[in-house]
Amino acid sequence: MLGLFGTLNLAARSMQAQMTGVEVAGQNLANVNTTGYSRQSVNIQTSPDVMTGIGPEGTGANVTSIQQAVNTLLNTQVQSQQSTSGYWNGQQSALQSAQNALGEFLNGTASTASTTSATSDSSTGLASQLSGLFSAFQAVATSPTSTTARQALIGQAQTLATTFNNVSSQLGSLKTSLNSSLSDNVDSANKLLSGIAALNQQISAAQFSGGTANDLLDQREQDLENLSQLTNISTSTETNGAVDVSIGSQALVTGYKVADTLQSYDAGGGQMLVQTAIGGQPLTLTGGSMQGTIDARDGTLATLQNSLNTLAGTLITQVNGIHKGGYSLTGSTGANFFDGTDAATITVNAALAANPNLIQTSGSATASGDNTVALQLAELGSTTQSALGNQTFNDNYDAAVAALGDSLATANTQVANQTAVTQMLSTQRSSVSGVSVDQEMTNLMAYQRAYEASAQMVTTINTLMGDTLAMKTS
Amino acid sequence: MRITSNAYDSSLVNQLNQLSAQQYTIQNQVSTGLSVQAPSDNPAAMENTLDFQAQNAAQTQYSSNISTLQSRATSVYSVLQSLQTITSRAGEIATSAGNATNSQSDLNNYADEVNQLINQVVNAANTKDPSTGQYLFGGTASSTAPFITTTDANGDVTAVTYNGNSSVNQAQIGAGMTVTADIPGANTGSTGAHGLITDSQSGADLINHLISLRNNLTAGNTAAITSTDNADLQKDENNVAYQVANNGVVQNQLTTAATFATNSSQSLNTMISNASSANLVQVMMQLNQTQNAYQAALQSGVKIMQLSILNYL
Repeated sequence: MLGLFGTLNLAARSMQAQMTGVEVAGQNLANVNTTGYSRQSVNIQTSPDVMTGIGPEGTGANVTSIQQAVNTLLNTQVQSQQSTSGYWNGQQSALQSAQNALGEFLNGTASTASTTSATSDSSTGLASQLSGLFSAFQAVATSPTSTTARQALIGQAQTLATTFNNVSSQLGSLKTSLNSSLSDNVDSANKLLSGIAALNQQISAAQFSGGTANDLLDQREQDLENLSQLTNISTSTETNGAVDVSIGSQALVTGYKVADTLQSYDAGGGQMLVQTAIGGQPLTLTGGSMQGTIDARDGTLATLQNSLNTLAGTLITQVNGIHKGGYSLTGSTGANFFDGTDAATITVNAALAANPNLIQTSGSATASGDNTVALQLAELGSTTQSALGNQTFNDNYDAAVAALGDSLATANTQVANQTAVTQMLSTQRSSVSGVSVDQEMTNLMAYQRAYEASAQMVTTINTLMGDTLAMKTS
Repeated sequence: MRITSNAYDSSLVNQLNQLSAQQYTIQNQVSTGLSVQAPSDNPAAMENTLDFQAQNAAQTQYSSNISTLQSRATSVYSVLQSLQTITSRAGEIATSAGNATNSQSDLNNYADEVNQLINQVVNAANTKDPSTGQYLFGGTASSTAPFITTTDANGDVTAVTYNGNSSVNQAQIGAGMTVTADIPGANTGSTGAHGLITDSQSGADLINHLISLRNNLTAGNTAAITSTDNADLQKDENNVAYQVANNGVVQNQLTTAATFATNSSQSLNTMISNASSANLVQVMMQLNQTQNAYQAALQSGVKIMQLSILNYL
């Protein structure tokens, strides 16, 4: 039997318990928009009963814990999906820039007719300038002595060379900026690693004193997910609540300590890769934006650069090979048409640019009006080149454009897919861990009513006590 | 499934983002008329389009080559016409002069006329292409006058030297199709293009034959005119006739090639259009659908988000 005082105590504890409920509802409502917040709930249990003559009797309720609604399986899935998302986002942004650097776009203006007729020309890209060069050779072949045709040829060749130079330098600076974004990523990852180690310490300290550090757990989960976006990590939880982080077999966070940090290093030829800072161990990454950037740089981008260089190089050797054997209007011979060796260095021979009459179009030293060489140069446009995989110059370039387009299209599709997957997972997670205002308000009212009832209980006991005391005076 | 307060917001934002992106793409397609603008839009279509565009550029260049050659062929034809008049007149003179009733003064008159004809032939053979300023009949050595004459004290032409060569330029008028509109002034070899004035394949040597006619006229050697000059001049007339016919063939070829290039260009344009143009009707329909979806998402989203238990407390 509890007696008046026992019952008063019961009512007071009940008020405390309901108050905790109100507090937790308030905490949930306050964090309704906080990223990474997991909703909390109060565990209220009946307090131990006491034995009386008529059997065990209840003693009210106590708050035993404040619990987080977390699905760790979902969290693991989110982490691994973040890593995949990061990878494709890294690829997408790198390839998008490569596509812009290449500048091969179709322009058009819609006609007013409802039928499908649009004029598409990509006058700024290399494709039209390559065919323009061979057209200009044709024009010179048809009127070999025409200064206008020669001037036009020089203009066309210079535009082509400049475009090659521009595209090449833009792709080069894209590579540089990809390298610097890689080292930015490395810095961010290192900050996250030390953050995770610090949180590990706080979390296990809280657990040691017998509670759960719900909000710190949320923070650490956020950090782990942000780290997953940068690279692929594997995690394991220790018994003291600390999470160990590693990439492959390289431990980065063990317990409260950062075991090793990341570092970008030059693997040769400006090809930046990632290794551990202390161990100097090169890391094989499989996901995250770092690897996405590396793959785009060393894959599609490098292929594109190579094929442009091969294209420009072959153009230079083939054109020069024919041009050298020809004779100019002044009878000179043996000069190159293009100088340079690749896309970055190709230029029109300055002497020819200054005097187009020096273009060697004639096959005979004595007949300046001959067009044999010009015709051979013009026919290069439709000749397949063994150095270009038996494709013509235009076909080879078109294929390179399509290859870049393919890679970017794949990245775009993957990013879209990943967005859908991430969205689905986050809906699932929010279904478990998210805060519902409706629910919290309902809980709030429930706790409020219970609190009111317990308060009423105190009033009742008070009256009873008064009654008891009054028995003596009367 | 438990739906939380932010589930609506984030999924609505996502849906609106997607629909906006779709509207952006479609609007771009409508305003440019292109379904493919960047390589990533449709790599295969992009490759085809670039390929067709290169072929189209080649066809355009063939057309431009053809019109250059056409104007050259026309210039050549007008020279051939005047040569035809000259050779037929020379033939007439040779025939009339062979008649024994002619006095020496008649023959001298004929000789004067032949001298004029010689000058006309030399002028015609040294015609320049009006568009390039190059000599039409010097073969590929087209920068200097092909026919240089030697004259006597009276200013009469006694001999002629050919400074050109017997080569002609081929120009491309289609894929793997070349043609020449040029005629060399002289070809003394046994192969190659027939020479305009001197040609060993047909035996033509117009200027020298005219000089011989004039010399025989001045000398009163009517027998030689009848026996040699008449026949020689006939060869020259035949050679010019051959050149006229040949010029006709070339002009025909050019016309056919021009039609072919125009047709190819048209069909390539259609192919480019098929590969990369947007079907406006279809795109407008898609735009409508997307806009409807966008409106529906906005309306339903706003309605749902306005409601919560707070409205009733």
